[in-house]
Amino acid sequence: MSPILLQVIVGGLLLGAVYALFSSGLTLIWGMMNVVNFAHGDFVMLAMYVAFWTWAIIGGGPLLFTPLAAFALAVLGVVVYFGVVKPVMGGPMLAQMLGTFGLALFLRYSAFWAFTANFRTLPEDMIPGSFVVGGVRFEAAKVVAGIVALLLTIGLHLLLTKTRLGSRMLAVSEDRQAAMLMGIRPDRMQAIAWALAAGATGVAGALIATFFYVSPTVGETLAVIAFVVVSLGGFGSVPGALVAGLLIGVIESLSAFWIGAVYKDVLVYALFLVVLWVRPQGLFGKL
Amino acid sequence: MLIEARGVTMRFGGFTAVDAVDLDVAEGRITGLIGPNGAGKSTFFNCLAGDYRPSAGSIRFAGREIAGLTPESHARLGMARTYQVPHTFTDMSVGDNVMVGAFLRHRRTADARRAADAVLERTGLAGQARHRASSLGTAGRKRLEIARALATEPKVLLLDEALAGLTATEIQAAITLVRDIHRSGITIVIVEHIMEVILSLADRVTVFHHGRIISQGTPGEVTGDPKVVEAYLGRSLERQRQRAAEASG
Amino acid sequence: MARFVLAVAIAIALVFPLVFSGAFYERVAALTLLYAIAASAWNLIGGYAGQVSVGHVVFFGCGAYGAAVAYSEWGLPPIAGLPLGVGAAVLLAALVGVPTLRLSGHYFTMATVALAELIRILVGNVPVLGAAVGLMGPAVPRSVWDLSFTSSLPYYYLFLAVLAGLLLFTWWMERSRMGFYLRAIKGSERAARSLGIPVGRYKLYALMLSAGFTAVAGALYLVMVGFVDPDSGVGILLSVKMLIMAALGGAGTLFGPLIGALILVPLEEISNSLLGGQGSGVTFVVYGGIILLIAVFQPGGILAMVAGWWRKS
Ligand SMILES: Nc1ncnc2c1ncn2[C@@H]1O[C@H](COP(=O)(O)OP(=O)(O)OP(=O)(O)O)[C@@H](O)[C@H]1O
Ligand SMILES: [Mg+2]
Repeated sequence: MSPILLQVIVGGLLLGAVYALFSSGLTLIWGMMNVVNFAHGDFVMLAMYVAFWTWAIIGGGPLLFTPLAAFALAVLGVVVYFGVVKPVMGGPMLAQMLGTFGLALFLRYSAFWAFTANFRTLPEDMIPGSFVVGGVRFEAAKVVAGIVALLLTIGLHLLLTKTRLGSRMLAVSEDRQAAMLMGIRPDRMQAIAWALAAGATGVAGALIATFFYVSPTVGETLAVIAFVVVSLGGFGSVPGALVAGLLIGVIESLSAFWIGAVYKDVLVYALFLVVLWVRPQGLFGKL
Repeated sequence: MLIEARGVTMRFGGFTAVDAVDLDVAEGRITGLIGPNGAGKSTFFNCLAGDYRPSAGSIRFAGREIAGLTPESHARLGMARTYQVPHTFTDMSVGDNVMVGAFLRHRRTADARRAADAVLERTGLAGQARHRASSLGTAGRKRLEIARALATEPKVLLLDEALAGLTATEIQAAITLVRDIHRSGITIVIVEHIMEVILSLADRVTVFHHGRIISQGTPGEVTGDPKVVEAYLGRSLERQRQRAAEASG
Repeated sequence: MARFVLAVAIAIALVFPLVFSGAFYERVAALTLLYAIAASAWNLIGGYAGQVSVGHVVFFGCGAYGAAVAYSEWGLPPIAGLPLGVGAAVLLAALVGVPTLRLSGHYFTMATVALAELIRILVGNVPVLGAAVGLMGPAVPRSVWDLSFTSSLPYYYLFLAVLAGLLLFTWWMERSRMGFYLRAIKGSERAARSLGIPVGRYKLYALMLSAGFTAVAGALYLVMVGFVDPDSGVGILLSVKMLIMAALGGAGTLFGPLIGALILVPLEEISNSLLGGQGSGVTFVVYGGIILLIAVFQPGGILAMVAGWWRKS
């Protein structure tokens, strides 16, 4: 394999790990309470702004703004759960979708209004340097983002499957009533799920901001990618999101490399529609 | 036999909720299914009605293999059901709920309306026909589900705990309704927890426990079966002990 | 009572532009009706069947671009492109509908999001469709069939007739088997199936009808405005408008989308003419807020709220 192709693929894998991380939040909420958060992309966008403004105002670096974004988004997640999701959850499907969809528009264009449509970028040397391994050149920012995202996604999966908290959350998603009888408070578990999902999204957003521009509508594109990742991986499956995220990352970089950047998303969306036709439950999901 | 189930098995992951069940339902009879909580009655019902595709086994309905057919084809073939937790169309009126069922056999609105009105009359819901279904209480919703199912003009009606959660008077009214439906020539399969109801209604009773059939026969035979007494009384004794503990604690 | 209200409403609709004449009023009135057509078309799948599409602009775009292409490629009157637009819309509807409508509603909604993004990028890069620049209708009318008028008045009556036709169809459908089936599907797919309804098939019919009528609205848009580009033809704003108008007035009711359009279109046109059209960011914030509030406090929309008051008094 030529070094350039290898570079494209490795770049795709690193990007894919970040996709996997922010898609995990979406898949977690969907799997646990059968709610699709249409504002998910806008959560990423807000996290990116948290990172940007933390740097712009007080000059903080990734070590400061990443935890800050995670915290801010986790709080937002809890607020959204109690303010929007909980009231509409028992209601008709239309209300559920309108709820998070309305939230998406509200957040996106409030950002537009508050921060203007200008593209903003963190300085290139936020995480400085690049290095060459075996003829392949790596930018440090993307390597750090990819590795942190990979570790966090795996950590999230372990949290859900191996800990007491995880099994309680699972109990609530399987049978609310039964979980209540066992002394679990469903509201609390679901609020925690939102905090976790949004917090993970916050980290992902902060990481993306180190190598990607920030704008109010950046979440729109990212949201569609998250939908594709989640449906390809199977709804509710974090390992599925990981594999699918890596796959989409590679497909994107390869198609940007071969057929041009304009069409790289076209390929991803088309893939999404094809997946819906041939394997709607995704690679790891069940219907 | 109207329904012949052979070796019907339903697994969820590694858990077997219904395990190789054989059951015959004779035409024109009322067949009762009983069993403690979680015995697999509803799951078996879902297999019969086509909501679930059984993991294994065969189900013949009027001589035709139906395991694996969609719920809508089950309805078309003449199988109607109610749900343990009512699934009424809450945004629609009571009358319109029944209309939805009536449209299965009557394409034209006027014909469906006439058929639905007859069913509403028969089930005693005519007075509430214009109310929203969400305004009904538990008894009303369960009755509405029966009416809706009846409007599809079925050969067999599957009732999953149609009487659970009702008061004594409501239960009497519901028993009268079920008898009336039965007299009109519809075969009935009914799941019920309340022993007295099953004993007074059913011709034959099948007892489920842990996904298997542990006893089958007339109501008299079944209640005399020591295995049933153990499965059931064991439970109810346990429950009584629990209640006593709760009351004292 | 209801008949009386309806008769009065029809009378007002017929004489309104004659009483409130003037280019601005006429234009706003015509646009209101156009959006009412689009929102009522969305209502067939989103309101009655409860399958929320947020990509309906794609079908609108099919109509608008179909009409534009009829002129730019073949020199035909734009309206001659109507069958092409409707056909394309119905085809696309089947393409997303067949796989997703078998599944739970979320899949469908997400597929419409992806379809809208996909089409937007494609349209912006296809030369026949004018790419990023867009396409024009005939600048000067060559015959009456170009339906190109300087006054908005003829459009007003044209749109009124189309809207009346669509509402009449909807009214008929509401009372037919299909109407009952769609509402049953919205209530509980599981129960609907147990009553013998082929759920996937009926949802698909509703989507295809909805897409076809939305394409009609798109073609009418091009006929009136004479221009379409990716933003106006396949931009997300329009999807949002259709959805919010229907939801605000009352999704799944005959007149809900019309009432939503009657409130929102004049509001937007007036605020644009006062604020100079620069308020689009704020418009979205307000739209988002309204959708959010409807979802949380009044999922039935204005009509349900009025019906509630009615019952109480
Ligand atoms: N969809 C499902 N997935 C996993 N397990 C299930 C599912 N449905 C039922 N079960 C399990 O199968 C067993 C049988 O359940 P079922 O509802 O059939 O019992 P039942 O006899 O109807 O009980 P009840 O009297 O409480 O209604 C239970 O242990 C239940 O937890
Ligand atoms: Mg049961």
